[in-house]
Amino acid sequence: MLEIAWEDGARTRYPGRQMRWACPCAECRGEGGSTGRLDALTELADDELRMTEVALVGQYALQIGFASGHATGIYTFRYLRQLASA
Amino acid sequence: MPAPSEQQVLAALATIVDPDLGRDVVSLGMIKELRVSDGGEVAFTFELTTPACPVRDRFKTQAEESVGALDGVSSVAVKMTANVRPGFMRQATEMLPGVKQTIAIASGKGGVGKSTVAVNLAAALHRSGARVGLLDADIYGPSVPGLTGVHEQPKVIDQKLIPLEAYGLKLMSIGFIGGGDKAMVWRGPMVSRAIQQMMGDVSWGELDYLVIDLPPGTGDASLTIAQSVPLTGVAIVATPQDLALDIAVKALQMFRQLNVTPLGLVENMSWYVCPECGHEHHVFGHGGAERAAHRLGVPFLGGIPLHEDIRVESDSGAPIVVSRPDSAAAKAFTDLASQIAARTSIQSFRRLPVINVR
Repeated sequence: MLEIAWEDGARTRYPGRQMRWACPCAECRGEGGSTGRLDALTELADDELRMTEVALVGQYALQIGFASGHATGIYTFRYLRQLASA
Repeated sequence: MPAPSEQQVLAALATIVDPDLGRDVVSLGMIKELRVSDGGEVAFTFELTTPACPVRDRFKTQAEESVGALDGVSSVAVKMTANVRPGFMRQATEMLPGVKQTIAIASGKGGVGKSTVAVNLAAALHRSGARVGLLDADIYGPSVPGLTGVHEQPKVIDQKLIPLEAYGLKLMSIGFIGGGDKAMVWRGPMVSRAIQQMMGDVSWGELDYLVIDLPPGTGDASLTIAQSVPLTGVAIVATPQDLALDIAVKALQMFRQLNVTPLGLVENMSWYVCPECGHEHHVFGHGGAERAAHRLGVPFLGGIPLHEDIRVESDSGAPIVVSRPDSAAAKAFTDLASQIAARTSIQSFRRLPVINVR
């Protein structure tokens, strides 16, 4: 579970499952016409869904690492706010 | 007449409001070591958030007058000091651990004098009493060696580069390492790696400000820096013509996407000073930068004149604020430093998001 306390007082929570499926990286989403890995799958293994580390990227995003070793997703704060209200 | 209580003195000082932070100086924690003697002698330390504070003198006068007006006060002794606060209340960062605030200097295109502004800004901040470093992040066209007259190779101790020093500044540039004349023909990932090394593998030590001279435009170097550390702020340098053409907007938009606070717009080569008679010519019109800043929703930080002396001193490897401190150009850079320092102080009261992983 990832919990964020925002400057405006809001608090948002995201389970690992939601974060993994929302990964915005080029491998997961696809780029330059190639299909993203997540667009072609319907299920993911357990270690893919477990978050193991979170790092701040500059002051605009979080980089989230999963137990499977996947860690290339950079989730901007704007994206994270959108995910919370989705 | 009995001496006033400490409460009364603090209440008097609480009438002084910091114009940039919008709060009174007592609630900001700027009044320290307050002592009131039985005879009504009041003494305290007034700790500014930056040695380059633009309202330093005004604060001192206001403090002396507001306390002096209290009943029972026989004397007021104010000691002015400065302590730069870490940006974002010092989130633990492995990158640049001893650096309190980072000031990026950007421009929409080249040739606007960004590096000259960066070097003189750094020198002016140092002259005001701050510990300052200057990171030359322009890999393809490093200017810092030429502008500071430093042409040595940095030493390596314990796998960290030791910054070179000139004019009281700690310096690092790819120009010190490459061997001067060699053109760095590098692909993007190599540029990013070099930038990360110049931040993380250099012994910067304890600094109040690290001024970062970015390459012109909106490329890899700027993105890498914005991703590696939470920048305290970015100042955009433009010439009056750029502003008319909104070229500076691109740089501003990039940093907005990265959540980097725009400190404001600097108009370089703002007016021309005739070296013969000293007459000021507003060759590119007047007030354009302020209007553009207003339109873009960012502060206008000030204008720097176009004067031959700046170039003469730069060519000989000396920042004009050091070599000709009484010149109009030096004064313009000093005022710029005060404006920028005042704005970065505001950043030091903000926080980054708090993260919990369970």
